[in-house]
Amino acid sequence: MTPDPAAGPILVALGSDARSLRLVHAGVRLAGERGRPWLVAHVEVPGGETPEESDQARAWLQEASELGAEIAWVKAPTVVAGLVGLARRRAPSQVVLGLARTGGPWDRLESARMRDRLAHDLDAPILAVPLDAEAARGPRPAGLGERLGTVAALAVILALAGIFGASLAEAVGFPGLVGMYALAAWFIHRRWGLATALAASGVATALCALLFASPSGPYGAGGWMRLASFAASLGGVLLLGGLVERLRQESRSGRVAQAESVLLMLLGRTLSRCSTAEEAAAVLSQRVAGLFRAEAWMLLPGEGDAWRRLPAQGPAPECPPPSQLLAAFPGAGAGEDPLAPLYLGACSYVPLGGPAGPLGLLQLRTAGGEPVPQARWGLLQAFATQGALALERIRWVEAAQRARVENETERTRSALLGAVSHDLRTPLAAIQGAASSLLLTGEAMPEASRHDLLAMIRDESVRLARLLGNLLDLTRLESGVIRVRKEWQPLDEVVGAALGRLERQGPLPVQVHLPAELPPVPLDGGLMEQVLLNLLANARIHAGGGPVGLAAWAGPDTVELAVEDRGPGVPSEFHLRIFDKFFRMPDRQGDGGTGLGLAICDAIVKAHGGRIWVEDREGGGARFRISLPAGGAPPLPPLAPETAP
Amino acid sequence: MIQPQILIIEDELALRRFLVPTLEGQGYRVEVAGTGAEGLAQAGAHNPDLVLLDLGLPDMDGLEVLRQVRAWSRKPILILSARHQEEAKVAALDLGADDYLTKPFGAAELLARIRVALRHAARPAQESPVLACGALSLDLERREVTVEGVPVRLTPLEYRLLEALARRAGQVATHAQLLNEVWGPAGAGQTHYLRIYMGTLRRKIEPDPTRPRYLLTEPSIGYRLEMETGSGRGE
Repeated sequence: MTPDPAAGPILVALGSDARSLRLVHAGVRLAGERGRPWLVAHVEVPGGETPEESDQARAWLQEASELGAEIAWVKAPTVVAGLVGLARRRAPSQVVLGLARTGGPWDRLESARMRDRLAHDLDAPILAVPLDAEAARGPRPAGLGERLGTVAALAVILALAGIFGASLAEAVGFPGLVGMYALAAWFIHRRWGLATALAASGVATALCALLFASPSGPYGAGGWMRLASFAASLGGVLLLGGLVERLRQESRSGRVAQAESVLLMLLGRTLSRCSTAEEAAAVLSQRVAGLFRAEAWMLLPGEGDAWRRLPAQGPAPECPPPSQLLAAFPGAGAGEDPLAPLYLGACSYVPLGGPAGPLGLLQLRTAGGEPVPQARWGLLQAFATQGALALERIRWVEAAQRARVENETERTRSALLGAVSHDLRTPLAAIQGAASSLLLTGEAMPEASRHDLLAMIRDESVRLARLLGNLLDLTRLESGVIRVRKEWQPLDEVVGAALGRLERQGPLPVQVHLPAELPPVPLDGGLMEQVLLNLLANARIHAGGGPVGLAAWAGPDTVELAVEDRGPGVPSEFHLRIFDKFFRMPDRQGDGGTGLGLAICDAIVKAHGGRIWVEDREGGGARFRISLPAGGAPPLPPLAPETAP
Repeated sequence: MIQPQILIIEDELALRRFLVPTLEGQGYRVEVAGTGAEGLAQAGAHNPDLVLLDLGLPDMDGLEVLRQVRAWSRKPILILSARHQEEAKVAALDLGADDYLTKPFGAAELLARIRVALRHAARPAQESPVLACGALSLDLERREVTVEGVPVRLTPLEYRLLEALARRAGQVATHAQLLNEVWGPAGAGQTHYLRIYMGTLRRKIEPDPTRPRYLLTEPSIGYRLEMETGSGRGE
């Protein structure tokens, strides 16, 4: 069954030069416009590219993958074969190719032929994106077949040049043989390089001497003249060829510089999205690994003259402590070149320079432990600078974040102070008044009034104690002073403790539904009792003497709890806010509550890894629900000792 | 009959002003010490019948005072502690304290605990083999447990657990103490054993196991066999 071609991905065939990025961007745009997934592929042809070109292609693929593309690295005998194979498997709805507008006629012909073949073999329409620059083509190692082909081509060229030159000389007496051979040598040089041209010239000279020597022999007067003129022409041709080759080199290094600046731009962009030093280090290390074939780490000065190494995973090479290593910068590199990295113990070090001295170092270890080649020092330094900029930015962001948190804490503190000072003053005023009245009036006060005042002192102090206890609980929970000590235990024990404590404070009509087969739960008994106490006490207040229900049941990996009443319920707009600190329902301000009970429940349940929420009970009333994780197996009970009591 | 003497080792003046008249009002003779060193000196001089010891003393750790008193005296010691001192409470109980009170506490609760502790101290271990508490009765000599006169069949482990609690009837027994007495050294740290057997014991003894009347849980600390049901421990 063939997939529907209209639904297939957009296939982008990517080369290795800097202009390939246009193809990636064309891919993003098309994928966005058509709402299709997109696939970026690079075809590696045996002997078809240098290791640098492969690295480059990898860098572009990585970029594409960060932009959301699926990526593929195909190995095939030819680019066309690789693309056709991939297209058969993936049935793309569109193929995007690069179109080299400049370059030699051969290149244009080749790319046109490739498109034709692809168009013939593929169902999908092809979009050729013009690339402004000539496709990069470096010296490439040739296969045996290609070499034989070259030799044959050379033979044909030389023979043609010989025949044409000789027939020219015969027909019109023009001594064009040397000129023809020089022309042939220049063409060979242009097409196959200097070594091939020299070899061909040698062969041509020998042929000249053999075939067209005058009867006076190759070393006669005429022969010498011919040889000299041949050598002069050849010299001129080679000089010209050398110039052309230099130009080619320069244009090639220009392309490399262009690719490097694009890489730096991409690195900077990726780093700017990092929000922690760990992320930035991971990005930098990954990019360096791809481009320099080396493992890389960010070394940041940590506590007590030790390095904080990022990324922290995996084994890492030893290195001297910050005090020694940082003292070696700046200008620590071998020689006077300011770009030179420090090479020490099979690792290279480059400073991550900040405005006030290095923030740290970038450490590199190539697979063989050799130093970074000089040609790449500049790029390495530029990478380190990008890393340092990212670190600097992250530090500022963190400082801003800290300031914001401090602000927030300050606001919470003043809210707390406001609430506490009000809630503390009220019972204190009552206690103070009652006590001073008792002291002042003494025996003269009727027995009933005296009892009332004493009872009020007791009740108000109980309220004060509750408020302080809640405040302390919440502060300790939030600051992490209270540690949750989970132990496997049956839920009915915690429920029993909470009910027992509440019943001592007054009658509580609770209907409890605890199935006997409920599995033990890992929880902190003391803290969870507090949760149930708060929920049940709330329910008792709001149920207005009506029944309160407490139920528990086992979920798939949880134990579920519900505390429900038939009171007025909680309006849905307060379902979330009711768990906030100091939140009071608008109609229940000043009823003696503290607005802390549910916040404490929330903190405790969360500390258990669980969830608490409130819902409307069917038929009216509130239903508080708790879901606690109960995964894993409880320890088995011990065997009874042999001895009877 | 001479009234029992109680030594209060407590540095907070407000609490002493509440404790001294409350205890004297019940007829106890009261001595007061404001520091650990003073408390140790007073304990040596008077050999009180009961010590109320605050764990948070200005000059030394309350646990250290406890250790030094326990070195020579078997008299009951009640710990006064703040909330969230569970670990200190457990340590004090395991060091030989008889019970604890969490501040703030009411007069009724304080007096009930003192009565239980003094009764325990006055009763030689061999005597009064029958404990009764509401409908629950436990005959330590004949190894018989009845609820409302009906015999209850307990496994040997369940009986040992109940017996360990009964030896401290009315007072708290820590997890470590119960585990050691029932399972021996092998039980150390295995609190979940205790919870499981406590569950089965409750199902056999309690009228409503989810609302225990006799076998009370003291969260994070241990269990208590309640002796004065219905007496009410006011807040």
